[in-house]
Amino acid sequence: MKVDPAGSHLQSGHFVHEEWPYEPRFKRVNSWRMHYIDEGAGDPVVLLHGNPAWGFLYRKFVKPLTAAGRRVIVPDMIGFGLSEKPVREQAHSLDGHIANLTSLLRQLDVRNATMVCHDWGGPTGLGFALSNTRRVRALVIMSTWAWPLPPAEFHKRIFPWRMMHAPLVGPYLLGKHNALAGRGMYLSVVDRKKFEEEAQSVYESVLPDPGSRLLTWTWPRWIPLDETARGYQRFEWLEHELKKSRFPTLLVWGREDEVFDHTTFATRFKELLPHAEGPELVTGRHFLQEDSGAEIAEKINNFLDRIDGRQP
Amino acid sequence: MTRVEVIEEPSLDGKRSALVLAEDRVGHYPEFREFFIRRFSLDTNGLSKPGYVRAPSGMIYSLVFVGRSGEPFPDGLEVYALVDALEPLSEEDVDTDLWAVLTWIIQGIGGEWEVEDLDATGRLYQLPLLSRHG
Repeated sequence: MKVDPAGSHLQSGHFVHEEWPYEPRFKRVNSWRMHYIDEGAGDPVVLLHGNPAWGFLYRKFVKPLTAAGRRVIVPDMIGFGLSEKPVREQAHSLDGHIANLTSLLRQLDVRNATMVCHDWGGPTGLGFALSNTRRVRALVIMSTWAWPLPPAEFHKRIFPWRMMHAPLVGPYLLGKHNALAGRGMYLSVVDRKKFEEEAQSVYESVLPDPGSRLLTWTWPRWIPLDETARGYQRFEWLEHELKKSRFPTLLVWGREDEVFDHTTFATRFKELLPHAEGPELVTGRHFLQEDSGAEIAEKINNFLDRIDGRQP
Repeated sequence: MTRVEVIEEPSLDGKRSALVLAEDRVGHYPEFREFFIRRFSLDTNGLSKPGYVRAPSGMIYSLVFVGRSGEPFPDGLEVYALVDALEPLSEEDVDTDLWAVLTWIIQGIGGEWEVEDLDATGRLYQLPLLSRHG
């Protein structure tokens, strides 16, 4: 389906799109208004996006998961999608985003949840899982990380990563020109023509103004580059707690992912979680959900069926 | 593209300050903060006055430095175009000017921060002004 190139999916404040027919729901979390969808019934599967995406990234997941008898909850991080978008950088912190998710999932009294973590949905979703172990039963981990150093070699380089979000350059390039939701995502999928036709304008249009795009350059600044970085200790904690955890885990990675490449990052998760299944490789760069959404949803269903003893 | 020059207190008669860019964390990479301290003598001037630069379009911009308790100064930076009070901005001019100001900042910081990398980043993300200017 080709989307409206003008990106006019927001009508009177409501998002209208045939692939996203879900009722918008909102909760106050830490005084912010968080948008989420809550579909189906059964043990919950929580689908977590990162930068600069929102729940729409999981549009191919919702129907197969609910059809398999699962409840699907897809929150938009504060600062993204249809959630409130603070206009000050100081509104954002890794701990704050973990607390936002914790607030939502406690209000929904989520129990026995499977946390599906991608990009910044990794540190936030794992942060929730590891501090609310009684509410979580399994993890699915895709193209992310959960340790302090080093990030990918890519994140240490000036071109393009550090330059892109540098002081003043970030607000200009990612703010005024929406570079990450547009060109950035385009460069991070395999089938770029399909992405351009089906989804790019959706991601761009939910961040319509420079002020609404603040988190696109704030999140990159939270990736620790050395031991003095904000968030360094939280990543140390994540790594430490993850190593102790025994959640059934599935690793899914994009074969073509050159930022969080599977030989480095999936392997590291496998070292921390030797019991994890996978990595199961699919067609995809960083935004693997865009290239292989239905396939990954099927893998999650099969993984959860195995946990439930419904499949060998 | 003509260069950016620092100027001393311009006349503000008949002008308004139009906010065109804001940075909440100018010291995210400390060498950026150090550049502004050096270039505008902020160790001496502190919050007493903004910095002013003239950009390629001829328009003057004020750089307003923002302090935050507990953080090294300056912590934030706001860029205002000084425009004729009742006239709208030319967005194209502002866009081109801001890119020139960013280029001037990166040049001034130096070291591992190179203008070639800024240009390459702009081209990677297909900044419209870079195609306009070839």
